Amino acid sequence: MRNELAELWRFRGLLLQLVRRDLKVRYKNSRVGILWSLAPPLVQVLCISFAMRNAISLAQDFPSYILFVLVAQIPWVYFQTAVLDSSQSILLMMGVIRKVYLPREIIPLANAISNFFHFLITWLVFLVFWFGLRGGRILFPEILWFPYLIVVQFCLVTGLSLFASALNVFYEDVKYIITVVMNFAFFLLPIIYVVEMPYYKGARMFQGVGMSLYMLNPMASLITGFRKSLLEPPLPRAIGGDSFPLDTANLLTAGLISLLVLVGGYAYFNSRKWQFVERP
Amino acid sequence: MSRATPDSSRTGNSMPDTQAGRSDPAILIDDLHKTFAIQHRQAGTLKRAVLNVFRRPSREYKEVLHGLNVRIEHGESVALIGRNGSGKSTLLSLIARVYKATRGSIHVNGRIAPLLELGAGFHPDLTGEENLELYGSILGLTIPQLRAKYDSIVSFAFDTPDMAEKIDTPLRNYSDGMKMRLGFSIAVHTDPDILIVDEVLAVGDEAFQQKCYKKIEEFQHAGKTIVFVSHDMHIVRQVATRVLWLHSGTIRMDGPVEEVVDAYLKAAEHPDFQEENAGV
Repeated sequence: MRNELAELWRFRGLLLQLVRRDLKVRYKNSRVGILWSLAPPLVQVLCISFAMRNAISLAQDFPSYILFVLVAQIPWVYFQTAVLDSSQSILLMMGVIRKVYLPREIIPLANAISNFFHFLITWLVFLVFWFGLRGGRILFPEILWFPYLIVVQFCLVTGLSLFASALNVFYEDVKYIITVVMNFAFFLLPIIYVVEMPYYKGARMFQGVGMSLYMLNPMASLITGFRKSLLEPPLPRAIGGDSFPLDTANLLTAGLISLLVLVGGYAYFNSRKWQFVERP
Repeated sequence: MSRATPDSSRTGNSMPDTQAGRSDPAILIDDLHKTFAIQHRQAGTLKRAVLNVFRRPSREYKEVLHGLNVRIEHGESVALIGRNGSGKSTLLSLIARVYKATRGSIHVNGRIAPLLELGAGFHPDLTGEENLELYGSILGLTIPQLRAKYDSIVSFAFDTPDMAEKIDTPLRNYSDGMKMRLGFSIAVHTDPDILIVDEVLAVGDEAFQQKCYKKIEEFQHAGKTIVFVSHDMHIVRQVATRVLWLHSGTIRMDGPVEEVVDAYLKAAEHPDFQEENAGV
């Protein structure tokens, strides 16, 4: 793996170029470019908020429910788009790697990095709402976890991207499977609700060991972590009981799992990468 | 990469590390075998892989190169000839590091410019200039290097002002010929030591082809190495200093141009050869 990393370092210029290409293409073709690309998650959050408040009345007592969804939606959209994009990335560049040598991992990496860049930018949307609805009150020391969570999520997403991109070369239904799984995950993850809500409602899946298992999913931990590092806990009235404190052990576990996913994804990718062009 | 030649300061990057001196050959191929897996159906799906998990994979393997030994010195211009399916393109791809050898080794001393396909990696939404930077970095140049060569790349590719004007419009407005011109121009400006060419010289109009051949002559005078595949014996006679005749994955003949070309043409007239050829 050491040689692979050295080779990757030698091609860092190309990696940068591919990231730039992705971002340029993404922000091009429209006058407002970057602003336009921020709209979809925002519109989604507004719709969710409207539906939850007025149709299901789940979030009636939730002050600034929009913020709670937004803070989960931002990492979620990054996760979903990056993994889906990368699963296609090698096939899209097949024409190039059949003709020119370049370290193959550059392709999904460029994808993951450009999506990461976009992820950082989307936090600006959050900032606007945060100041507007909550005056941007910073929680100390919880806020210190924020950069850690960003890094952990990058590891997780990049690892899965490497894995998905390699797998999709050999099994072309992988991208459809990922799409279906993502649809489930949206509801399984605490995006439109916070974990305390099903817990206090007595949902069996969320009691005792169930909750620990649920939190082993790094995305569940990360989303919960982002919330608790940025937003004041919601009132007991809104979620059915006291809000859980930020769980340090949980976040450290998520970091470890994400790191393993990254190393595992990279190792798997490297074990398959020379077979891409020879795909039967 | 360490090279004893005076211009070793150039940052070559697509080559494995070798201890090389002046006496080392440009390309050293030692007992080179290449095997491809053949599957008699379309690319697999994960569904099928899971269903077939207990079945043995039905794979056939076909060896297309059976232990080649070739030594190409610096400054040689080697033509690869042979009928379709004889392994010429596979050999070129192996030299360009697109494939990995199944057995044996290839050592390359110097920077390669693979002209296997011109403009692999061009993106239609980016401008000519942006694509220039992207393709240039795929071929291993840094952005400062590309900026320095920018003018000569553009003026070589587009000789009329109205063509050159298009450099800052998206590539989808380019004709195929113009894309090829740009691709060729970038590739030859990477300052390669070794040029790998797969019948891509039928580029653009008559005038541009003349320009390409002039460029190739310049390379030869500068003592660079050229390896190319061609079915056009006229071109082979004009450009090559040595001819390798490949036949079903082995070297049938290796030597001076006239000798090998004459033998090849004679064999091609033979009815058996015609039949074999048609069968491929």
